[in-house]
Amino acid sequence: MALLEYIANGLVFSSIIVLASVGLSLVYSIADFANFAHGDTMTVGAYAALVAFGVIGGLGAEILGLPLGFFVALAVGIVVAAVVAILTHKLVYEPLDIDSIGLLITSIGVAFVYRAVIQLGFGAQVTEFDIQVLRPIDALLPLGVRMTLHDVAILVSAVVLVTALHVLLQYTDLGRKMRATADNPDLARVSGIRTDRIKLWTWLIGAGLAGAGGGFLGLYSSVSPRMGFNILLVVFAAVILGGIGSIYGAMLGGFLIGMIDQLTPLLTDVGIPIGTEYSYAIAFVIMVAVLLVRPNGIASEVGS
Amino acid sequence: MANRSRAEQGVLGVVVVLSALLVWGLLSGGLGPAYFLYLLGLVGMYVLLSFGLNVQWGYAGLINFSVAAFFGLGAYGTALLSAGNSPLAGGLPPLLGLFAGLALAGVLAVVIGIPTLRLRADYLAIASLGLAEVVRLVVLNQNGWTNGSAGLRAIPTFFEGWPVLGSFPEQMPTLVVDRILVTIPFVTQFELLGIRLGTSFWQGVLNVGLVLVFVGVTYLLLRRVHRSPWGRVLRTVRSDEDLAEALGKNTYAFKMQSFVLGSLIMALAGVFYAHLNLFVSPGDLEPINTFYVWIAVILGGSGSNRGAMFGGFVVIAIREGTRFLGDVLPESFPVALPNALSLVETTYATVVSNIASTRLLAVGLIIILVMRFRPEGVLPPQRELIWPRATEEATEGPTSGDGPTVTADGGDRGADR
Repeated sequence: MALLEYIANGLVFSSIIVLASVGLSLVYSIADFANFAHGDTMTVGAYAALVAFGVIGGLGAEILGLPLGFFVALAVGIVVAAVVAILTHKLVYEPLDIDSIGLLITSIGVAFVYRAVIQLGFGAQVTEFDIQVLRPIDALLPLGVRMTLHDVAILVSAVVLVTALHVLLQYTDLGRKMRATADNPDLARVSGIRTDRIKLWTWLIGAGLAGAGGGFLGLYSSVSPRMGFNILLVVFAAVILGGIGSIYGAMLGGFLIGMIDQLTPLLTDVGIPIGTEYSYAIAFVIMVAVLLVRPNGIASEVGS
Repeated sequence: MANRSRAEQGVLGVVVVLSALLVWGLLSGGLGPAYFLYLLGLVGMYVLLSFGLNVQWGYAGLINFSVAAFFGLGAYGTALLSAGNSPLAGGLPPLLGLFAGLALAGVLAVVIGIPTLRLRADYLAIASLGLAEVVRLVVLNQNGWTNGSAGLRAIPTFFEGWPVLGSFPEQMPTLVVDRILVTIPFVTQFELLGIRLGTSFWQGVLNVGLVLVFVGVTYLLLRRVHRSPWGRVLRTVRSDEDLAEALGKNTYAFKMQSFVLGSLIMALAGVFYAHLNLFVSPGDLEPINTFYVWIAVILGGSGSNRGAMFGGFVVIAIREGTRFLGDVLPESFPVALPNALSLVETTYATVVSNIASTRLLAVGLIIILVMRFRPEGVLPPQRELIWPRATEEATEGPTSGDGPTVTADGGDRGADR
């Protein structure tokens, strides 16, 4: 019966990883570098949401056990993360005249600046959203699943956001342009697509999703300056597992990595002495193993 | 020397100013001689780490974000064999630990290299950062092997048990330099010196001597290697991998060799650190330590060993300098400002009271600024790639217009001493 509970937890954690990995993959495919500041963009979103929630409060009404104010705060977090990312793009990345490896190294500097500023502003300690922790849903308890309404809210919100991204990419003009730019930037430019503008949109959407992921991660566990950097490697594992630059691959990869992470207790249950402290490590070893067999990720044929 | 570039003059200036500050600290008694030697040891350690990363990133273009893991394995390798509270062995001679640390790092380098070196460069970046985290988690959580977060204590010094050097610090006499009152008439008067040079000082001398030997040997080795045909192939791999393949070179093998060589040098730095600090803990494997080394290399100039030395120097200045500033600077802004500028005062207070975060900010800003304004580093490799004889011939020859070039097959021929 424990298995069902692990799967339920996996679904919730996967939702957060998927939000982050889809954003990272989007930036990876269009800005064309591995953005090591993505995790800290999540932290920025989480802190923005935390501050906003502190200011506006609950606003009375509740949706899925969460006060309406939390969703407003989350929106603030999304916007702040997107604005910060766009400013960074304009101020830091765009004036650079270096290859994608140079951008990658620069993004580490950016990640440190984000984290340092957050630490200077809020201190290094761990905080939490001022929202009452709920009891697990009674209907699910007989199945051995301890899942709160908040977990359901995270899951539902992630599904909504990812579906919205899917619709955007497949059925709108902007989405088509983004896919064209990701596929072949030069061809997209000669076809009359303003790739500079597409890049801005990419940063906006990618960082916004990261901000949402950060807010949910803060709700799911806690908010601390290191939260984003700690989870960054898991998100990268998801992106690589799905195949770099493939957005649907990143969804699949994020789902699998989130599941694997939460299924780690199974190992101790069947007698293998590897505890949950190694859950990130396991996700990583699996990623490396996948690289050995399928260097382009599991979704390499599907593409985006 | 009149033919120094402006960058070289600038670097020289920075080094001279920092050295002058250090000497002043020593003379005025603000900086203990033993601590000064400890800092010198750390600088040497960072120079070694930068050499190691230079072999990987500077020569072959491999993005290795697991510097801290190789460093940590070197440190833990030797500490597990020699430390007093090691759960595994303990009490074994450090020389054995040296080889154990290097062996561990070599094995890990091959293990990380096999899946990632065939792929695009950014895969290596991500995978190496992840595997470094795996190593850190293992060191942190496997209490039965590594003593976990408590770390390993009572590590002997590197020379313990050696014939003469083992008891050298105890046998040296304690030197006492009396305080001197210096008076500059009508201006000021201050006290200088007043230092006791005891056992810890002589131990520091030994440590600095050891790291000088490590750095010297590595430098000579790398200089030879860099100018060898092997080094030229690596530089070709870095600038155009397809070209190297087309020339019939097995680029995977070359990358693997440079990855392992660099990792061994990092592990050597770790071994030195364990016997310098006499205590290692999982905190030494934190990713931030990897990025300090990266700063040293990209600031100094990728592929340049002179630059790596300068970078190591600067990194210690940042690390220890900010710690020093945190102690020295007053808690609140020294000058009273009008209310409109209260933001300055609060910012100042935050920055000074959170010196660790400020250091992180400085590290991030340096990375961004270097990549923005001087991506090739302060001292990019120039003359050091060329056999000295070649430049002499080129300047004497009639066609000195476009400068010396390295021939593709064998620079060795004209340059035997």
